[in-house]
Amino acid sequence: MSPGIKPRQTLLQLRDKSVRRLVESERAVERSFHEGRLLASLAVGLLLVGFLLVAQWRGNQSFTREIERQSDQDLAIIIQEITGVNVGLRDEVMRLEVRILDAERETKDTSELLNEAAEELDALKLMTGLDPAVGPGVLVRIEDPEHVLLAQDFVALVHELRAGGAEAISVNGRRVTATSGFSEADGHVVLDGMRLTGGYVVEAIGDAGSLEQALTMPGGLESRFASFPGVTTEVERDGSVSVGAALERRMTYGRPVEGD
Amino acid sequence: MLVLLLAIALGVTLGLLTSVSVPVELLTYLGVAVLAAMDSSLGGIRAALEQTFHDRAFAFGFLTNTLMAAFIVFIGERIGVRELYLAAVVAFGMRIFDNLSQVRRLLFQRWRWE
Repeated sequence: MSPGIKPRQTLLQLRDKSVRRLVESERAVERSFHEGRLLASLAVGLLLVGFLLVAQWRGNQSFTREIERQSDQDLAIIIQEITGVNVGLRDEVMRLEVRILDAERETKDTSELLNEAAEELDALKLMTGLDPAVGPGVLVRIEDPEHVLLAQDFVALVHELRAGGAEAISVNGRRVTATSGFSEADGHVVLDGMRLTGGYVVEAIGDAGSLEQALTMPGGLESRFASFPGVTTEVERDGSVSVGAALERRMTYGRPVEGD
Repeated sequence: MLVLLLAIALGVTLGLLTSVSVPVELLTYLGVAVLAAMDSSLGGIRAALEQTFHDRAFAFGFLTNTLMAAFIVFIGERIGVRELYLAAVVAFGMRIFDNLSQVRRLLFQRWRWE
């Protein structure tokens, strides 16, 4: 057997081997083709996934930003509204404070007016003798057993007391008012229709010192009365003199003039 | 394997370069669709490892999954059950983890780590 000649069996083996290799290579081609398609499609899928992920991420980001911006705007609007309300309330508070001040002033005015009116009324009451009155003053006791004092002496006495600043005067408990008058009847002195008898008691409200001085000054009424026979005069300061109210008197003819 | 990583990286760069932004109204739709796409991709990888991959089935599954996911969100919004998208999210989330574990198992088998 020469080395160049191969037996038939060997040739057959070689052929089978080649066929097997051919099939294998064909399969490999097919497999690689298949694998290529596999990889390609998977790659496309993953590419899409990546792309979509980024798009979604970005969209979500902008969405969040938008929400934040919106809430900022909302906050700004709320702040603006509250500020507006605040300004309105401050205005109202100021307006109300002004009104309170006005009302206070008005009240003060009214109460002042009332006070003045009350004082005036008190003065008028005192002057006219509408109400009984109390206050410091003097008590004058005059004894005149022989009835030598005349109405004009009492007029002089009252006049002296008024000159000394008397605000209210009564004689024997009868109030002497602006319309009072002394007269005489049957040897007695009469005050507004009341006969004055026995010891006279004259009470006067005012500054006790001035009143006393008005009566007891040298050459005054007391010394004059002392010159009358039997007449004794006693002037006494009193911390709390009380005089009664005047009799009511109806005014028929006069009428106050309104206005001015 | 390297090709797949490159593909996902390419997708991300493409998205970054084109600066595409999803409108606010479509956020939920695309969110669920992305989940569906991720699930399909993982499913494809799993199928490839199991030698059962079929490119047409993969492409079709990818498309129908994403579209169906978006459709579920749409239906939910239409019938007043906006939370319906949660069903899709949960389902796809579970499938993603399931596929992931299978892929991991197959890879370990292949590399004879077990």
